[in-house]
Amino acid sequence: MRFALTVLLVAGAGALVPLVAPAYALTILIEALIFGLFAMSLDLMVGYGKLYSFGHAAAYGLGAYGCALLLTRLQLPLPAGIALAVLATLLIALPIAWICTRSTGVSFSMLTLAFAQLGYAMLFRFKEITGGSDGIDGIPRPAGPFGITWFQGKLGYFYLVWACLLGSYVLCRAIVRSPFGAVLAGIRENEAKTRALGYNTRGYKMATVVLAYGVGGLAGALYAPFAGFASPELFFWLVSGRVLIMVIVGGAGTLVGPILGGAVFLMLEHELSRVTDVWPLIFGSAFIFFVIFAPEGILGLIVRRRATAGQGTVDGAA
Amino acid sequence: MTGFLGFILTQCLNALSQAAILFFIACGLTLIFGIMRIVNFAHGVIFMLGAYVGYTIIAVTGSFVLSLIVAPIVVGAVGMAFERTLLRRLYGRRDGGAYLMVTFGLAVVLSEAIRLVWGPQPLGSGIPDFLRGIVLVLGQPFPLYRVFLIGLGIAAALAVWQFLERTRAGLLIRAVSQNAEMVHALGTDVDLVRTGVFGLGCAMAALGGVLAAPLVTAFLGMGTTTVIDAFVIVIIGGMGSFLGSIVGSLLVAVVQVFGAYYFQDLALALMYALMLAILVARPGGLLGKEE
Repeated sequence: MRFALTVLLVAGAGALVPLVAPAYALTILIEALIFGLFAMSLDLMVGYGKLYSFGHAAAYGLGAYGCALLLTRLQLPLPAGIALAVLATLLIALPIAWICTRSTGVSFSMLTLAFAQLGYAMLFRFKEITGGSDGIDGIPRPAGPFGITWFQGKLGYFYLVWACLLGSYVLCRAIVRSPFGAVLAGIRENEAKTRALGYNTRGYKMATVVLAYGVGGLAGALYAPFAGFASPELFFWLVSGRVLIMVIVGGAGTLVGPILGGAVFLMLEHELSRVTDVWPLIFGSAFIFFVIFAPEGILGLIVRRRATAGQGTVDGAA
Repeated sequence: MTGFLGFILTQCLNALSQAAILFFIACGLTLIFGIMRIVNFAHGVIFMLGAYVGYTIIAVTGSFVLSLIVAPIVVGAVGMAFERTLLRRLYGRRDGGAYLMVTFGLAVVLSEAIRLVWGPQPLGSGIPDFLRGIVLVLGQPFPLYRVFLIGLGIAAALAVWQFLERTRAGLLIRAVSQNAEMVHALGTDVDLVRTGVFGLGCAMAALGGVLAAPLVTAFLGMGTTTVIDAFVIVIIGGMGSFLGSIVGSLLVAVVQVFGAYYFQDLALALMYALMLAILVARPGGLLGKEE
């Protein structure tokens, strides 16, 4: 009940933001929310299953290119294009998840990386469809069924992204708190033991990977029609690395942390890159700092502070 | 020699010289992984740093040979400093993700530092005079510099192999990669071995960078593509396997050189497809053990 109220309050507050924010800020805000959604999808793998994917750009790229092709070639209504792109991402994620979950640890990371790079390479192989290094530009936002057009404007698109982000968050939160999530946590802590308890751990991991790809695909599918183009860089491993950074800095295993991490990171990057060109230097150093000294991320740090403070009053000792 | 056979020979030599450069990067990567279980994402940038440092040494002293010696020492020292100050703090952690991320952070910081120091334009000092020209290999004309690369690659592979097999330091490296705790218990400073191997791996990558610079010039971003090639090699060969890094370098170079000729659009995809096929068949790589 308290959770429902919080979500409603946040949703309402967020819906008011565009009314006070200047128009140019809205563009960055929408991009930030999309990236937050993307980071959250990776958190499902990293934070809950300890599945360090180094190829999550594949999910983003698949969603973006899928949506771009559906909208430019078939002129599908925007909602249908996004939905079908997510579906396509889920389908492609199935064999990827099947192969990647054969391995664990570093091999898993490398396999996911291989798939993302394979996707990157395929864009150049099938130039006539994907536009090769030029990518796809001029992606429209065709009107929806029954002549719905509210999402064609920037303000409307903000609400579309906002709704998708909140909806995905509520869904993912429910999943990680369900019995499914409990098994996943068991795998994260001790896979052998969980398997000994009779759970098909690989099946759980596969489901997590597919789910993460689906949500990541949604982020990509939202990005392409907003930016108006899709380029091969979306598949490149630097994107995977960046989003992983955001998950860690935001706080893996919290869902909210990576959303904030992704959104804040993108906005910071936008603002700071206007002021100083050594921005990557700052961000790289900050990242190293976080991994070494605060591996639970900003949100984790806050939560831990609060937990230890609470403990102090009960136990009387730190 | 007839046209077709001559063509094949030239392509094979091209692949060999390509393999030599790839080997310098992949060998360091696999040694570091074998001993520390670290996937060093910064390895591509280290390679790039080698190319830039080498450029500066040539610009100052005019000696290519000197750059081949000094650049690896400088970059190796950078690597050791990084291992001592930052990586060391992570040894207690059980998940390998932290290493991936810290080295990724280093890659970002280093490549940005390189841009600030050397500027965004590509820098090339060209092939040194004494290595210019064409030699005849079985009657086929072939650039002398690439023959030099092949020779140096073979020499380095033999040297590292002998170093690992015949010297006490090599023995320690192999021992630590098998059971670090036991070696530690027997009274060896394992941390020192780790620092040394990290430095050695970085120095080898830097040497690769100095050698690659005359062919492709030193440019920002040469690290990002190269590190992926090196990963593919190490994964194909088996992570931590020295022999695997040689086999992987040769395989990837052949796929790259012949792929670029026969299936231009598919060349890039071919490499990843090869890697996936090998991983599906043997999850630990050709010569590696499954973790």
